[in-house]
Amino acid sequence: MENAFWTNVFSRWNTSDNETVLTLKQVPVFHGFTNRDYREIEKLIHERNYKPGETVFKRNAPGEGMYVILTGNVEIFMEDLSGNKNTLAELTNGEFFGELSLLDDDIRSATAIATDHSKLLGFFRPDLFSLLERNPELGNKILLNLAKVIGTRLRKTNELLTETQQR
Amino acid sequence: MESSTNPALVFIRIFLALIFMGFVYIIWPYISSVIIMLIFAFLFTTIMLKGTDYLERKIRNRGLSVLIMTGAVTSVIIIFISGFASGFMDQVRDFSTQLNQEQTVARMNNTIQNFSASLPDFIQETLPQNRNFADTLKSNIGGLVETLLSFAGAIGSFIFTTIMVIIFTIILLHEYHHFKRSLAGFFPNRYFEVGLRLMYNMEKQISNYLHGQLLAAGSVAVLSIIGLLILNFMGANLTLVVFIGIIAGLANLIPLVGPFVGMIPAILIAFMNNLGSDAALAHVIFGVIPSPFYVLDIVVMFIIVQQIDNNFITPMLVGESVGLHPMMVMIALLIGGTLLGPLGMLFAVPAAGILKVVIQEIMFVSKNAHLL
Repeated sequence: MENAFWTNVFSRWNTSDNETVLTLKQVPVFHGFTNRDYREIEKLIHERNYKPGETVFKRNAPGEGMYVILTGNVEIFMEDLSGNKNTLAELTNGEFFGELSLLDDDIRSATAIATDHSKLLGFFRPDLFSLLERNPELGNKILLNLAKVIGTRLRKTNELLTETQQR
Repeated sequence: MESSTNPALVFIRIFLALIFMGFVYIIWPYISSVIIMLIFAFLFTTIMLKGTDYLERKIRNRGLSVLIMTGAVTSVIIIFISGFASGFMDQVRDFSTQLNQEQTVARMNNTIQNFSASLPDFIQETLPQNRNFADTLKSNIGGLVETLLSFAGAIGSFIFTTIMVIIFTIILLHEYHHFKRSLAGFFPNRYFEVGLRLMYNMEKQISNYLHGQLLAAGSVAVLSIIGLLILNFMGANLTLVVFIGIIAGLANLIPLVGPFVGMIPAILIAFMNNLGSDAALAHVIFGVIPSPFYVLDIVVMFIIVQQIDNNFITPMLVGESVGLHPMMVMIALLIGGTLLGPLGMLFAVPAAGILKVVIQEIMFVSKNAHLL
């Protein structure tokens, strides 16, 4: 039988990645970090559980940060004035959303709802700012990755726009 | 939405809240000292957090940063308190010895009589006749020395409280970001982001206020030291100038009342150092107004420092960090003073500031309830 005391004493020696770190490693915003960096980020992550149909955030609500799906599914959608739902994305394990709120305090552009029992990891703007103060090297790595994600998305948007104009 | 307006549920909530308040009222005498220790630890944590984060950035070790920071601050406080206490005790002891010398007593009585004789008749009539000022003072000073020594008895409990506050501060500083995350864990999903917003805004408000106040207190201390040195240059014969300046700066943390408290040590020391000196007794300010023992000079100097602080330093450093109307500041001070005395006055303004942030956020949430 495993002794709980010694397990606790040597818990810091256990360097194998837990579920949170494994999921974070899949997210482009947190790519290419050292194990120490992941442990640091893990301290700032908020783990939240959602029931099916529960709202993560609503459109036009002030945004505070991004979410990564640890387990479960999340639907991102917009409703028009007559209440017709336009699904923008259906996201699952390892995918992320709301990352623009890490950069500005603008309102959310769409609504996010859990469609299944979901466990989400929240990473918020004030924590990013606090990290930039305490560990600017790691904070800047996150900002650079965030810029890359937004840059890739902008390039794709430009390509789509060009394609649409050519048609 | 319907469940929250259900009368039975509202009644149960009110009933539970009353039970909780009654429970807190019963256990308050047992937990009040711990709560006050935690409040102090939280204040010290807020003050030292930026420094600790900065150190952590440099040495990449949170634990070591916390130890260096708390060690440095504790050492400075110990050096200050022990330095001031020994200096002030020496001063009181010297004064007491001086009072026991017959020559000084006779001289003092003589100067006091000369001074009272120079006063207008209507003031003289109000003074008690055939008094022996030196004897009265001697018995009072003897009492003061005894009182100061009896403080030694209370030192045990003070040391215990201080050690506990230091331990709480070390834990809070080390686990600060973790505690914040744990606290956010209690927010329901619906109010999670709003709760986080409220928590960070409150943290920012308290931190800005405390840092601004500390900077203003430091400026008042420096200005007071300069003012006291100028008075010394004019012959005021003040000692422990640096300590008096720092005490004036710290007293300044309590709005409205603090500045007057800051004057007391300076007046006491001016009185002790100049007693028996004819020149000090006959000193006049602005060439006409009598200012025995430079008391009026000290008051005027502190008023000037206060004016500089109120009109230039505080608006610049503290600014609108709390942004409370002066009337609200006074009401908060009165309530704080009535509830907890000087300690309550110290916490009154930041507490009112926190309350303001909470009300603002509740109003924001109620306006945007459809978005939650």
